[in-house]
Amino acid sequence: MTTFGGVVRGEWVKLRSVRSSGFAVLGAALTMIVAGLVFAATIGTDSDGADGVTDPAGITLSGAIFAQLLTGVLGVLLMSGEYATGMIKPTLTAVPSRLPVLAGKVAVLVGTVFPAVLASAFVVFFAGQVVMGNAGLPTARIGDAGVLGAVVGSAVTMTGVAVLGLALGALLRTTAGAVSTLVFLVFLAPGLGGLLLPASWRDNAVKFLPSSAAEAFTQVAPAPGLLGAPAGAAVFSAWVVVPLLAAAVLLRRRDV
Amino acid sequence: MIEVVDLSKRYGPKTAVDGLSFTVQPGIVTGFLGPNGAGKTTTMRMLVGLAAPSSGITRVNGKPYREHRAPLREIGVLLDARAVHPGRSARDHLLAIGATHGISARRVDEVLEVVGLTEVARRRAGGFSLGMGQRLGIAVALLGDPRTVVLDEPVNGLDPDGIRWIRHLLKDLAAQGRTVFVSSHLMSEMALTADHLVVVGRGRLVADVPMAELITSVERGVHVRSPRTSELVEVLSGNGVRISSVTSDVLDVIGLSVEDIAARALRAGIPLFELTPQQASLEEAYADLTRDVVEYRGASLGEVA
Repeated sequence: MTTFGGVVRGEWVKLRSVRSSGFAVLGAALTMIVAGLVFAATIGTDSDGADGVTDPAGITLSGAIFAQLLTGVLGVLLMSGEYATGMIKPTLTAVPSRLPVLAGKVAVLVGTVFPAVLASAFVVFFAGQVVMGNAGLPTARIGDAGVLGAVVGSAVTMTGVAVLGLALGALLRTTAGAVSTLVFLVFLAPGLGGLLLPASWRDNAVKFLPSSAAEAFTQVAPAPGLLGAPAGAAVFSAWVVVPLLAAAVLLRRRDV
Repeated sequence: MIEVVDLSKRYGPKTAVDGLSFTVQPGIVTGFLGPNGAGKTTTMRMLVGLAAPSSGITRVNGKPYREHRAPLREIGVLLDARAVHPGRSARDHLLAIGATHGISARRVDEVLEVVGLTEVARRRAGGFSLGMGQRLGIAVALLGDPRTVVLDEPVNGLDPDGIRWIRHLLKDLAAQGRTVFVSSHLMSEMALTADHLVVVGRGRLVADVPMAELITSVERGVHVRSPRTSELVEVLSGNGVRISSVTSDVLDVIGLSVEDIAARALRAGIPLFELTPQQASLEEAYADLTRDVVEYRGASLGEVA
């Protein structure tokens, strides 16, 4: 008999048996750590010196913006890979109700990505503070107000973007389409919005994008013009949940 | 057992399957035959819930596919031999699919043995030949030890050894009392394996007949050569006998056996120089059946000129 546990085990076998998944998870963790250390080592070297360091926790966590592209692509591949290889046929014949497959993929994706990026966030936070401390720059401690939230929040963001990638992969069913959409939403839209939109509603639009919404609840000292932390968390969750629900509806409805 | 009842599938203005009804019985090999584009694969996809019918229903072992709680144990299906992630090993491919049904690693190794992939089980499937991919697809179909097996063009890409192996496998599965439903566009292949034929063209049922019946239905009569054909026509004429003249000394006789014709000619003292039963090949019978329903037909050079 098919059980949800069995479906999750099957999805786990799929994830672990393809090399690209390991590369993506490891790559995201390493990117997070290396980028954070590079920022920590170079931040005080410009003309502003120590005055430029207003958020020592945020500096060490800023690799998340790059790392989340890797977790997002992993999410995309988990679903689009099924369509690209044709594996989706045996997958859905084994589980004709289909929705457990999507849920199972979310479970193994979150279960794999979150521990890895959470560990890397803690590693780069502590190591980065040491680097900045040695350079005579201001540092943060994990117990300072908002710091633990920033560390955990960056891991939540990277995991959330992975699930957004999964949903886009399920919706668009092609790797190229889903990765482009993901890169646009997470990476390009904030900058392009700032450049192309009329000033009157630029700020209102940009702050609702996934990365800006994530900043609102992950930064110790959020930049002005962002949403409040609870609103940011709600908007970011919506960016994950709404595409996922749409993917669920279409997965059930569409022919394969 | 497979039941297809008044099944239709439309894609926009195009009808891929058009009011198809047939039943596939257990214990025999049933061939699903038709030209390319006749709707065979679409029908099979609807059987296992990958495509939703526009109207009509399909049942496998008495229930719509989606209502089975352990579908891989009811029906095993091969739709697309390339349905494997190229970076994943054959064994992991089967383990991942089997895990959904709690199928053990022992059973996975067993089916790998059955399809002859044990030695390459841990190699990445991307390096497999088409034939090995086909065997892996058949391993997926057999994984749940299902009562019904559905294979879409299973001999594609197999070498002669592999083709022989498939024929034996299909007959063995049927002999174990399973329902075996195999599609092909090659009559010659079906002639060697199938006990029953479901023939489709342009999405419609063309024939649903036992193989033996199809063979007799295409008897083309007897070719008779004699110097005295006009006398011979009088001797052979009768109820249900059709005689056509091919050349001045050759007749085609339908409705009389070779023995009858020889006996009557002997009684009348008419010499016969040739007496040949004309049996159309199954290939010709198939061409006859599907002549009007072939979707894509190349014009002969004469027609083009």
